[in-house]
Amino acid sequence: MSLPTGTRDYTYAEDMAIIRTKTQWALFTGFLIFLFTTPLYLGNYWLGVANLIGITIIAATGLNILVGYCGQLSIGHAGFIAVGAYTAAILTNRLELPFLVGLICAGLTAGAIGLIFGIPSVRVKGFYLAITTIAAQFIIIWVINHWQVTGGFVGIKVPYASIGGFVFRTEASQFYLIMTIVVLCIFFAKNLARTKVGRAFIAIRDNDLAAQVMGINLFRYKLLAFFIGCFLAGIAGSLLAHWIGFLNAEQFSLTESILYIGMIIIGGLGTTLGPILGVTFLRLLQQVLTMEVVPFLESTVALPAGFASGVTPMLFGLVIILFLILEPRGLAHRWTLFKSSYRLWPFSY
Amino acid sequence: MKSKRLLLVAGGILLAVVVAVLPLLGACAPGEKTLKIGITTPTTGPAAEKGSPMGHANLDCVEYINAELGGVGGYPVEVVWLDNAYDAAKGVTAVKKLMDEGCLMFGTASSKIMSAVMETANRAEFPGIACFTSPVLYHPPQHIYGQLPDYGDDALAFANFYMENIWKGSGKPKFALHLLNNPTGSGARDAFRAKAEELGIEIIATEEHTPTTISEMSSLTRIKALNPDVLFISSTPAPTAVIIKNAYALGMYPGITIGCAHASFTKALIDIAGADIVEGVYGTFPTVMWGEDVPAMAKMTEYCQRLHPKDYGNMDYITSWAQTLVMAEILKLALENVGYDVLAKGDVESWRAIETQGFQKLKDFDAGGLHGTVTYTPGDNRLTTYNRIYQIVNGEITNPSDWVEAPFIKYEGYDWFGQ
Repeated sequence: MSLPTGTRDYTYAEDMAIIRTKTQWALFTGFLIFLFTTPLYLGNYWLGVANLIGITIIAATGLNILVGYCGQLSIGHAGFIAVGAYTAAILTNRLELPFLVGLICAGLTAGAIGLIFGIPSVRVKGFYLAITTIAAQFIIIWVINHWQVTGGFVGIKVPYASIGGFVFRTEASQFYLIMTIVVLCIFFAKNLARTKVGRAFIAIRDNDLAAQVMGINLFRYKLLAFFIGCFLAGIAGSLLAHWIGFLNAEQFSLTESILYIGMIIIGGLGTTLGPILGVTFLRLLQQVLTMEVVPFLESTVALPAGFASGVTPMLFGLVIILFLILEPRGLAHRWTLFKSSYRLWPFSY
Repeated sequence: MKSKRLLLVAGGILLAVVVAVLPLLGACAPGEKTLKIGITTPTTGPAAEKGSPMGHANLDCVEYINAELGGVGGYPVEVVWLDNAYDAAKGVTAVKKLMDEGCLMFGTASSKIMSAVMETANRAEFPGIACFTSPVLYHPPQHIYGQLPDYGDDALAFANFYMENIWKGSGKPKFALHLLNNPTGSGARDAFRAKAEELGIEIIATEEHTPTTISEMSSLTRIKALNPDVLFISSTPAPTAVIIKNAYALGMYPGITIGCAHASFTKALIDIAGADIVEGVYGTFPTVMWGEDVPAMAKMTEYCQRLHPKDYGNMDYITSWAQTLVMAEILKLALENVGYDVLAKGDVESWRAIETQGFQKLKDFDAGGLHGTVTYTPGDNRLTTYNRIYQIVNGEITNPSDWVEAPFIKYEGYDWFGQ
């Protein structure tokens, strides 16, 4: 980790600390205060957007562990989110179990399904693995549509989340619930990357043959990456289910799965910060384009018929292309460059 | 170092100012007294070919209401219009925004978006009206209403029409169903499941297809082996065109009767499949056609040709124009019953007033003759229950039947519904 000049460690605990300097502590504390006071000055709409961003960050963090750290390409993430969402819906609606039981079971079920679809990763990789995970997406959605328990095409209602008698009815209370889980998931992901498991993931990503020669059990660690990645997808699915309140399989399309890949690429693969920045950037871009730009163009500018319909996907695609060309290492890398530059300011070069 | 500290302090002050000022932004003084409604349509995304003209029709009709009718009860109608890109999550945030903006109700085009947002709306008691609907939206009935008959009603209207006007054989006619793998298809499936016995028809096959299907030869080969009398398709234009073209190639059609649900029965179906292949195909649609002699046609045509001439001829435009007329009527009724002050609040009290004193007071409202009369019946949130059966003749959708009323089915009374 790059640190300001003069930062010294006198104990192992200091060396291992995630937050090292006073400035980092100040910024972190300021950010948490800003985050948890957000409901005081945002309306339901922007809180809803923030909740959606929070849920997506959890799912993208899971995908980043799988793809960014362990190098196992998965294009079926929306399917695993669906597993978590439906598990939570069935447990809390049909069986009337508590929200927290549903939440944990959603993660475990999605993780278990991820393990099944992760088995091919031992024998195949790259595009071949991508195809098997696309199959997971289609199989999961087919089962949801045709299994009586899930409500089939009709869908299934999901009650509000509640803990110990407190029901998260308002957008603000849901915000606190979601953001608390987001913070916990990011803390988990950040620490995971610094453990033996995280280093094994990175070794497999960089060269799986070399990792195997070093004694890393590929089967075990690849499946573990699938389990953790899909566990977080399941947690995100559970929160999504309680936030939207109604599920049908159309909400978990292949397009969503591909979008998740785009988010972690734009944010920066293999970094904890990447999914946060990528998700925030793309979700806000989507909202601004859809909610502001299209209505503005439709109502005020005389454009050729159908132009406004195409402007969102065009701009969206353009942004992704520009990122891949100009900053292939993602927003997280740009943030690192900014920090380095700031530390040396006014003598940065 | 000093400059750096100054920069940090300045940044902190700026952040504090932003945090302090943001709440004030929402407290700007209101301007003219208006009646605010929300509209969200899939103007971009995979359903833009339907959502775009429907959004245009909503906005054009509001312009007509304000310019020529003096608004509603003397108050201009203000629209907050949002695209949802046919995406469930964006739909949910859009509806939250409409609630934040103080809209009195909201309208959507598609059943997919309404099913995604309905729980958000139901939880807040924020009333909504969808043009195209599936039974799941209001079984059991809550705060979501259907402007037009649902996909199940389509199926039953066609089956009734077939039994009364086409079927000449003995015994039960054999129906094969080809259904889109979403609520558009499942609505028809559930309706047949509930009413096939009563109608005196036999369902011999139920096949599913995806919105992106490019061949249904195998499923149609299975159906052909069962020797059906009727193939009923509940889907969107592109897959329906694929199915009919495949049936034509297999020699099934002509030779059997093909019926289509209203989601696919538009000019796009003829354009994609080819006029010669779809010749004679039947379809349901809940509105009149362009050019018919009904009271609202002249103004709608005038505004469409002036503001969005490319949409002229699109049946979906008629649907949304009529939706806006219905919303205006709901506003009018609520205004008469509770007064402007209650509606001006734009909160849950206003929403309850709109629902109980607007939606639920609708009785025999004529939306300029564009579709069947609009009436609220307790326990049934479909506001219109009439369909017409059309046929494609010489490349045109024509030969409208009389209005066929769809019966009310209490789906939630069946054990299998939603299971």
